[in-house]
Amino acid sequence: MSSLDSLMNLQGAAAAFEYSDRGELTDHRISEQSNLTADALDLLAHVFVANICIATMQARGWEKTTGQGGFYPVQGFTLVGLEWSAVGNGRRGVVLRNDKADFEAAYAALDS
Amino acid sequence: MSVYSELAGMQGVIAAGEYAYRGDRYNYKGQLSDEMARMASIMCRATTMGTHMQVGILCANSENCPFDPAHGWVVRGPEFTVCVVANVFCFLRNEAGLLNRVMKHMQDRLADVEEMV
Amino acid sequence: MIKRLLALDGVSVVCQFRDDGALVEGYGVLGEEMMGRLAKFAHDYKRMVQGNTDQFSMFTQLPGWTPPGGWIVRGTMASVCSVGNLVCFVDNREASLNEVMKELAEVSRY
Repeated sequence: MSSLDSLMNLQGAAAAFEYSDRGELTDHRISEQSNLTADALDLLAHVFVANICIATMQARGWEKTTGQGGFYPVQGFTLVGLEWSAVGNGRRGVVLRNDKADFEAAYAALDS
Repeated sequence: MSVYSELAGMQGVIAAGEYAYRGDRYNYKGQLSDEMARMASIMCRATTMGTHMQVGILCANSENCPFDPAHGWVVRGPEFTVCVVANVFCFLRNEAGLLNRVMKHMQDRLADVEEMV
Repeated sequence: MIKRLLALDGVSVVCQFRDDGALVEGYGVLGEEMMGRLAKFAHDYKRMVQGNTDQFSMFTQLPGWTPPGGWIVRGTMASVCSVGNLVCFVDNREASLNEVMKELAEVSRY
């Protein structure tokens, strides 16, 4: 089973996708019931890349300023919408229904 | 009790707080110095601004956009995670089950907050 | 007043936006709806740049960065430039960014 198929097995998954380090969509799966499109996933991939970069800047600044480590390297970013969330780790992402979302399982699946 | 106080009382949570969308006001509870809480508020507000803009663009051309409105975001590091829903932030340790508990609590308690005020 | 930006080489659109992101006025080759979107984008982008500049100052303690004066997003063919509550579209082949930014700064002060 491909890694995207295993992401689609997460509870409440509507889409799973893979992207380049610049955020360009390279592969994806969308469930039949979902109204997401490849174009929307491509934008989401760019959202992940942009926010992981910003979070990395914040983690670097925070660690240097406060001496508190533990945020760098940033391992993932999640966008939480009203009903859906998108969880990503810089290479892959998955869209989950909020009422079924297991964020920890999603991060574990993304890293496997 | 405020949402951030409830979060700060959860086992494994380092600190939680709330920030104003405009201006520099913030409140917090937990294991952060005042300066760290001020910095955390500035950082969380900046990222929230960014995600709102991104969701606006993401949803500008699609009907039934599943992320509109943006409610929050999560950044995960190797030891710690930061969660933000509405204007409440929470710093927590990566302990099994804690992220899901914190997110559930934040989403339940802050479900009705939509506008950035 | 903001119309005079259109007299510069390569400037095709200029908009002014309110502090809540609403369009005040806009001129050039875009329709009203797209002008509104540009105003909203420029407003959101301004706040994002402000947030990131605040963090840069906070972490480095370097003076002179905040509040930010403006921003430029440069594409291959076109750029978007903003100062204050003004934003404009420019064609990279024809426009002088220095001239556009100088004029934006001047007009934004009125």
